[in-house]
Amino acid sequence: MKKTLSVLFVLILACSFVFAGGAGETGTSAAASSDTKTVKVGLICIGDENDQGYTYNFIRGRDEATQMLAEEGINVEWMTIYNIGEDASCIDANIEAAEEGCQIIINNSYGFEPFMLEVVDDYPEIEFISCTNCASVFDGRENTHNAFANIYEGRYIAGVVAGMKLQQMIDEGQIAPEEAVIGYVGAFSFAEVISGFTSYFLGARSVCPSVTMKVMFVGSWSDATAESDAALALIDEGCVMISQHSDNTTPATAAQSRGVFHTGYNNDMTGIAPDASLIGTRIDWGIYFSEAIRNYVNGEPIPQDWCAGMAEGAVVMTPLNEAIAAPGTAEKIAEVEAALADGSLEVFDTSTFTVGGQELTHAFALDTDGDFTADSEEAVYDGAFHESEFQSAPYFTVQIDGIQWLNAAY
Amino acid sequence: MSEEVRTPLIRLEKRSGMDKKKVWAIRVASILVALILGCIPMIISGNNPFSAYGVIIQGSLSRPVYIRQTIKIAIPLLGCALAIAPCFKMRFWNIGAEGQITIGAMCATYFALYWYDKVPHVVLLLIMFLAAVIGGGIWALIPAFFKAKWNTNETLFTLMMNYIAIGIVAWLQGGPWEGRKGSQLIPMFNDAARLPDVFKVHCGWIVVLVLVVLMYIYMNKTKQGYEIAVIGDSVNTARYAGMNVGQIMMRTMFISGAISGLVGFLTVSGANYTLFSGVADGVGFTAITVAWLSQLNSFAMIAISMMLAVLEKGANTLQTRLQVPASISDIITGILLFTMLSCEFFINYRIIFRSRTGKEEKV
Repeated sequence: MKKTLSVLFVLILACSFVFAGGAGETGTSAAASSDTKTVKVGLICIGDENDQGYTYNFIRGRDEATQMLAEEGINVEWMTIYNIGEDASCIDANIEAAEEGCQIIINNSYGFEPFMLEVVDDYPEIEFISCTNCASVFDGRENTHNAFANIYEGRYIAGVVAGMKLQQMIDEGQIAPEEAVIGYVGAFSFAEVISGFTSYFLGARSVCPSVTMKVMFVGSWSDATAESDAALALIDEGCVMISQHSDNTTPATAAQSRGVFHTGYNNDMTGIAPDASLIGTRIDWGIYFSEAIRNYVNGEPIPQDWCAGMAEGAVVMTPLNEAIAAPGTAEKIAEVEAALADGSLEVFDTSTFTVGGQELTHAFALDTDGDFTADSEEAVYDGAFHESEFQSAPYFTVQIDGIQWLNAAY
Repeated sequence: MSEEVRTPLIRLEKRSGMDKKKVWAIRVASILVALILGCIPMIISGNNPFSAYGVIIQGSLSRPVYIRQTIKIAIPLLGCALAIAPCFKMRFWNIGAEGQITIGAMCATYFALYWYDKVPHVVLLLIMFLAAVIGGGIWALIPAFFKAKWNTNETLFTLMMNYIAIGIVAWLQGGPWEGRKGSQLIPMFNDAARLPDVFKVHCGWIVVLVLVVLMYIYMNKTKQGYEIAVIGDSVNTARYAGMNVGQIMMRTMFISGAISGLVGFLTVSGANYTLFSGVADGVGFTAITVAWLSQLNSFAMIAISMMLAVLEKGANTLQTRLQVPASISDIITGILLFTMLSCEFFINYRIIFRSRTGKEEKV
């Protein structure tokens, strides 16, 4: 037995000698970064570009940032790791990226952050970024960062587009005013999702006063079949407009197959659902990626908690489907965009919604004691709930009147 | 009526008493064949197989960090293979290690989450250890009890128990143990609930190596180990010899489940620092391969589990360096396992072709 074991080990060792020359170590190639202005960046993704949604949007941001920086003479070498779960495999992916020589490591999914934070202390010289989460900014470390964008602004506008369509249908007698029901496919009953569908609903109601909304949670960020099933179930419940906070395009195709309308997220979905999808909104990650990488190369600090909105180009609308949108939609979008930019319009204006019949006067923004319930920083003041002001990640978790949660199990 | 018995073109004959050296030569040869076959998907995906294998070796063994990562993968594989060994020796097909790991991890996690500030560090780890061992053991005892009492099919029973265990943890993850609402994440363990590192790898490696020795002694030098072997050879012989087969089955399954539970504890407390439904990560199934390839020999399991860990860790690097899709590395691992397992077939059987003259040619 001893002999055979040693044979095995010798074999493995022999292999390593034979093959070691086969592939050069690529890890150290980006070492001399500052003078050649080459920077190696790791991007750890929960999916891959085939989702045509969440991760695809990051890949677009990656390519856009690469192009923008190339024009400035900064060469970015990317190492993209796909299909990592929100579990301990994320620890390994971060170690892998660090060991392979990445100087900046970007984690693209919310659930990556706690695992990323397990690694950061071993690599103090590497900058770690957790997109869409909120612990890195408060952890006291220099090399951990958060980033998000005010996607609720884009959702509000998508809601305006949906509301105008619904109002047009009411005006033309296709549906009764009380039949203007939006169905929303949400991932989890999670702040980011609640904030998203509430802003969407408020946008719709600003132009279609009779609108109501039903939300169904699928219990996954990315489950194409469940998302489609939820959309179909919502349509069966009488919803005539579908929107989504989930990673796939199946809600759009479900809407198309049942002849109702849709607004999307992360990507332009008018291509696959031309008769249903009106518009979409997405975060343009290229804005942030280029800023963070540029800062790094120039020796400036990467912002601890980056957040920007439509005014900065970090949130963009996908092209409007003019063929099916209500007349005047494009003009209305421009008007709302301008009002959001100059501050005359607040998305979470507390005079536009009620909670249990009452106006919202108080809500905390941040959780400081780690019990996962917000306990500090008053978010309601000057007649509005101020989203993403105290941290980049959304913290609006209030259930407002007019939105019915069909299942809150997730 | 013809009395002639038609001989089939190919038939099989059971071999017996093959030379040990020859057996191991076949096994090593099968690995080589697997490595050669593994070149095919690499070539198809447009990569030089030599550099691909080079990357696998580099990615798993070329740096201290990578070696540590590889060992981290090998620990649960080895531990779980040790857990499965006595069951398989008994010919009790326990494919429920996945669930037993999950339940063990779950029991340990309860104390990690709610007792970390109540008891000292070492005591907490001991409590977590005991909880995991008892939890995993009881989870395994259930199918053994039904098998002993009503002769239920243990393969299906243990398999189905996996999904229940995983489902329970998925529920905890999004329900009572969830951290930030809607996040589906159980908070990371407090430092008090984490295993200490020894040579920068969590001390689970020492635990499993000790287990290797203990399991070897248990299987080869004790009365209980002998009973397991007898039942594995023939249940009737065991009965005739006056053994209480049902009781031995339950005892063995408890031990097996307890070790799996221990693996779950090592994984959550040493490697993951939290619990999620995929905590077992297929280890319960891969460990079957490890146990089988090493012929249930505890010491051989060290080498086999390390080899699989090298492949798995190397495959990650393969993906990051050469942008080979993860599925290609899965295919290569699959080919390797398949060839190595099928070589056992050629060790146990000989193929006989019917010759034209009626004489047989033995291969």
